[in-house]
Amino acid sequence: MMHRRAFLQMAAAAPAAMAAPGREIPGYRVVSHYQPVARSGMPGPYPGQVASVHAEKCIEAATEKPDPAVVREMMARGMLALTGDADVRDAWARFITPSDVVGIKVNCSGAPGIMSSPAVVAEIVRNLMAVGVKPDAIWIYERFEDQVETVHYDRYVPQGVHIWTAETRRGSAESYDPATYVETAFFDEDDTRSNMIRLVGNRFTKIVNVPNMKDHGAAGVTGCLKNIAYGNFSNVARSHSGSVTNTYSFIGTLAAVEPLRSRTVLQVMDGLRGVWHGGPFSPNRKFRFYPKRMLFGTDPVAIDRLLLDIIDGQRKAEHAVSVWDRSPKYLGRDDDHRNNPNVNPFIREPGHIEYAAGLGLGVYDLDKIKVAGIEV
Amino acid sequence: MPLAFLAVLLPTLFWDRPVETADTLHKAGIERFCVPAGREQAWRKVGFSATAFDRGRATQAIAPKVEYHMDVASATRVPWVDANGWRFEREPGRTFFYDAPAGSAALAAAEAFAYEVDAGIRAAPEDLAQFARMLKFLGEIGQPHLPVRANIGVVDDGSDTTAEVLNLMARHNLLFHVIPSVDPKYDLNIRQVPRDTNPYEFAMKIRRDLTDEKRLLRIFGSNVVLVRLTGDASQARLHLLNYGSGAVKGLRVRVLGSYKRGKLAAFERPGAALEDYNVEDGATEFTIPEMGIYAVVDLLRDSNF
Repeated sequence: MMHRRAFLQMAAAAPAAMAAPGREIPGYRVVSHYQPVARSGMPGPYPGQVASVHAEKCIEAATEKPDPAVVREMMARGMLALTGDADVRDAWARFITPSDVVGIKVNCSGAPGIMSSPAVVAEIVRNLMAVGVKPDAIWIYERFEDQVETVHYDRYVPQGVHIWTAETRRGSAESYDPATYVETAFFDEDDTRSNMIRLVGNRFTKIVNVPNMKDHGAAGVTGCLKNIAYGNFSNVARSHSGSVTNTYSFIGTLAAVEPLRSRTVLQVMDGLRGVWHGGPFSPNRKFRFYPKRMLFGTDPVAIDRLLLDIIDGQRKAEHAVSVWDRSPKYLGRDDDHRNNPNVNPFIREPGHIEYAAGLGLGVYDLDKIKVAGIEV
Repeated sequence: MPLAFLAVLLPTLFWDRPVETADTLHKAGIERFCVPAGREQAWRKVGFSATAFDRGRATQAIAPKVEYHMDVASATRVPWVDANGWRFEREPGRTFFYDAPAGSAALAAAEAFAYEVDAGIRAAPEDLAQFARMLKFLGEIGQPHLPVRANIGVVDDGSDTTAEVLNLMARHNLLFHVIPSVDPKYDLNIRQVPRDTNPYEFAMKIRRDLTDEKRLLRIFGSNVVLVRLTGDASQARLHLLNYGSGAVKGLRVRVLGSYKRGKLAAFERPGAALEDYNVEDGATEFTIPEMGIYAVVDLLRDSNF
């Protein structure tokens, strides 16, 4: 095992080398006793490759009800396209073995308006079990109980599958690993640590990341990187204050912490429905849209790069200001932001995706991203 | 001799209700308390140990509590904590009086005990049982009377501005001691708080000048727990006061210095023990799995408890 101090020095050196012109990157101290592995989960075996599957009938927009059979077909076609395999089980077996304990990182921050669809999650569970993973070795997990309990995943998956949240009471730190954290002070906050969920280190051997397609008031968009980063660490809301957010560098920094980086082996972006404004929450249905698309890959940066254009394209179609706009004139209160797509509480930081690419988490350059487009 | 306890100064219930309420006190298990002057005899006649308490000579303490100001724009939504520790540090040797509304008497007792101040606490009748349990707990853990540990020495000019700076330092667990003149034993000395300064900005400047690395104590996982640290060359005691409305779970504590052993006593959490204890790089870290109103951690550098 690498001595913790040695790893600290390596980790602290990375952000300094990544400093972008005109942006001050906070000093991050990454503490983890887990060694980086040579063949890490992110970007994994398929850097810069995305399987993009569209199916017009995957969800009925009027009722927002997904069709599980179509979802199954989408997932099968996506996994086959990503891996090049002829058999779906073989495709999943590239990432998962029967002895794995698998965490499925869902996103429920917009529930019940938008979340990792139970139909998608159930299909992932079915595929894991087809590979040989036992139900009690599958954990559907998220940070906040009050968000997950509105979704009722238990009604869609076999008995024995765990549905687990880190914070049954908001702010509770008991489910986080005291020895694995990122330390930094953004705004003179007292608690300067963000700790990784314990299960990631001491229980899971693999993680499947299931984000949605959403705008995000701070990060610009919330996709693979945001879901795996802010969704696996405590005390992350401290990165925003006033109109300033540190999502630009914090998201990638968190996503790169071991063992999260190594164990996140598959990205399944659920874009049956999406949010083009007001994310990560979705109280207002008028800001939801229906891309009817799922993206598959191992490279979170490449998928999120495509997501940027999907969200910004929808915003453009709705005559809303771009997520790239940094003008202070669009800043406003949360109340106004909820109803007006041209008001935002923060200067958005969609550059967090390119920053993460600089940390080695994936490929950002569109010219270097290979998309396999599939129509179901 | 580690953890030798001398006489323990316990806060006292102040009870100004008539002797007809004796049953209420009996049921709570309270036999000793203080009363307004002139009422001692009446209570002694019905079997209680009552002593006179002169509220007029006592300094008023505020009711300890937390306030969530959701209307104040802040992404971190740090709640406001009403605490008396800074005042106790500023006015040592005084007797204090708490008029504790329902739900706050036990915390008031723990706070007074942690700072080793003489205090009378007027408690609501519904708080008496918990208050009595707190007094029992405090008596059991005792008080080793160790010197106060602090990073910062503050020369107090008595101004309101300095008062607010002291309050904010205590609020943010920036450990200070009020001193008559600059003392080089502290990492940082505050000779004078500028009259026109913004107290919050000044407190944060103190933090930055000190640096978090040098802080004798840090806590992670709660923004409503305030800590007092005492200790000498061989031992340390942490008093952790939870001003929030619910239990705190998974509180991580970092104490500068290498302590081989740590022992937790948490109010209403029998059998609670420190978890994930680690000594590294000249600091000791541990987790308090769950605490309610109050917890005490005793640390020893070398020997066993």
